[in-house]
Amino acid sequence: MLSEMGSQLIDLCSALLLLTCFAIVAQRRLAACVDLFALQSAFLAGTAALVGFLTDNHHVYVTAAMTGVVKVIVIPVVLKKVIQRLNVKRELVMNVNVPVALLICGTLVILAFFITRPIIPLGHVLTRDSLAIALAIVLIGLFTMIARQKAVTQLVGFLVVENGLFLGATAATHGMPFVVELGVFFDVLVAALIAGIYTNRLQDAFDSVDTSHLTGLKE
Amino acid sequence: MTDWSVTIAAAMLVVAPLLAGGLSLAVRRPSLLHVINLTSMGLLVLAELLITRMVLDDGPLTVLGASMYFDALSVFVLFIIGTVGLACSLYMRSYLDEQVARGVIAPNRLNLFFFLFHMFLLAMVLATTANSIGVQWVAVEATTLATTFLIAFWRRRESLEAGWKYLILCSVGISLALFGVVLVYYSSLHVLSDVGTALNVTELLPVADRLNQHVLKLAFIFILVGYGTKVGLVPMHSWLPDAYTEAPAPVVAMLAGVLEVVAVYAILRIKMVVDHAVPASFSGNLLLLLGFASFVTAALFILVQRNYKRLFAYSSIEHMGIAMIGFGIGGTVGTFGGLFHLLNHAFAKSVAFFAAGNVHRRFRTVDIGQVQGVIVAQPWTAMALLFAGLALSALPPGALFASETSIVTALTVSGGGENGAAALPASLAAENGRMGLVTVFLLSAVLAFGGLIYRVTVMVWGTPQQDIVRGEAWTAGHAPMVLLIAALIGFGFVLPAPLRELLGRATNLLLLQ
Repeated sequence: MLSEMGSQLIDLCSALLLLTCFAIVAQRRLAACVDLFALQSAFLAGTAALVGFLTDNHHVYVTAAMTGVVKVIVIPVVLKKVIQRLNVKRELVMNVNVPVALLICGTLVILAFFITRPIIPLGHVLTRDSLAIALAIVLIGLFTMIARQKAVTQLVGFLVVENGLFLGATAATHGMPFVVELGVFFDVLVAALIAGIYTNRLQDAFDSVDTSHLTGLKE
Repeated sequence: MTDWSVTIAAAMLVVAPLLAGGLSLAVRRPSLLHVINLTSMGLLVLAELLITRMVLDDGPLTVLGASMYFDALSVFVLFIIGTVGLACSLYMRSYLDEQVARGVIAPNRLNLFFFLFHMFLLAMVLATTANSIGVQWVAVEATTLATTFLIAFWRRRESLEAGWKYLILCSVGISLALFGVVLVYYSSLHVLSDVGTALNVTELLPVADRLNQHVLKLAFIFILVGYGTKVGLVPMHSWLPDAYTEAPAPVVAMLAGVLEVVAVYAILRIKMVVDHAVPASFSGNLLLLLGFASFVTAALFILVQRNYKRLFAYSSIEHMGIAMIGFGIGGTVGTFGGLFHLLNHAFAKSVAFFAAGNVHRRFRTVDIGQVQGVIVAQPWTAMALLFAGLALSALPPGALFASETSIVTALTVSGGGENGAAALPASLAAENGRMGLVTVFLLSAVLAFGGLIYRVTVMVWGTPQQDIVRGEAWTAGHAPMVLLIAALIGFGFVLPAPLRELLGRATNLLLLQ
């Protein structure tokens, strides 16, 4: 009974993660994108804690706590600072308009379920659909990086991809070996910081963080 | 007795760059920075040679609570890291001094350069020696993070652009590889019960044939695309020519000579696991596909290059493609050729980028049209450039001729039922298909040869413009070029016995024998 409800709860959490992805794609304001990313990370931390509770894996609690600290607090705060300094609150430039982008994302979700269909039955009963949802989030994150031109949004896209991977690791396999998770956290944090520094330097050098200005290097 | 000496050697591999990196941040004097760098590289090479001895004597080793794993393949990669790393350190001696003297690099940023360089080395050593493929992933991503500022070290607009492109493309690519690693874990948990070690190669290999085929196939595709981005395989290569053009010469030599090999190694590790469960033709055919795509595309781009650094960058893509074709065809000849090709390419490409760095410092341009008569301006560099050009076109004095020949041979005669070979059916249609592949291979090789040799000779011969300083003094930076060239010529004629043994054993490992 408990696992029945647990399974439902985890599915709900994963679905909320996916929903925030769509919200990020549809959102035009930069700061709101960062907020949505923080919200998504909070859902992720919740999912991880739930998995830890239901499967009695204590180290998953630690990763849930670290998600809370790093992805809900530290990275969004850093990104907000970057955005403030850049003074780019205005509407985002998009290569693809919102309705089309949402349609594409819907297709990506179907694709993700299609790809993972043969391997889903192998999974734990508890977290069966999460692998497909994780892949869907990864694909949507990649799409965001292509569809948006601001350096900061590309970074948010990358972080969404990481969230998707993390959901896959937590939900499908109840967490990776602890050393690996620590390492992944470290890498993501450093990558976000480095990208933040880059954004500042790009701003100084080009007077813009629009990556469509990065066209000096050609054949 | 031997037990703790291996442990010390293995710890040295990690501690030397870590300590050197820390010290570099604290030290200001340039000469001291170089001393630290060379000492740590020396220790690294020593430790690596010691471990090679042990592995050759006793077979594969696990050290430090099975967290590090050494076999012929990883020791072979360590050998490339050590040798090219040492060559780069020697070259950096004169290169960085001159950059600082000319004011291109501010003296107070020199220790940052060394710190990042050591972190880069550390990450590569970890990626090579880690037993867990999860830790290996973390280390490969760490190489991206350590090198992105090295690529953008000149802080010009173009270098920032190249650095950003590199950071984003490689991080995303690598994320896909992480999804692959998660999938491997997903399948291995069903067989291995211990959560902490279920990603260790030593645990995975014995039970690999019981892992789920569907999951492994999917995992391999994700990992191939992910690490393939780091290797620079077409179509994930677009960051590579930019990064190689903008990064300082010693950094490019490390990227082209070592990092590519480490990324290929990461792919081969997974291939070994997958081949246990799935017929080798699955992974082999995927490698063949990416290999040919890279080879043909790079050969075409080599033809139209007007920038000599980009020229060598595309030649890197070309040679990685060739090595992938070797591994894809499989069999003893193909796999051996692939590994040997990785080694030769690492040496030849370092020489090429060292020489390109010298030319760039003298002529202040990367445009081939504005560089003439290097032979008059810089005789030593010109000889190195010419040799690198010849070697990279796979002409006989260099060992790339030998390795490329064995890959072509494997391509021609493959399918003879050799264990691990991409088993092509011996029907007439398959025969024609194979001959088609050989034709494409040879045509691309000819294109790349023509493009490379033509551009290099244009640069080397002739007379330089009036304002170019003539004459070149011998510096410490020339020594590694001469040594690497000597090694390349030597390998072309005879492989030293330990190296042959190492290559042979690594080949057997890859063929699962």
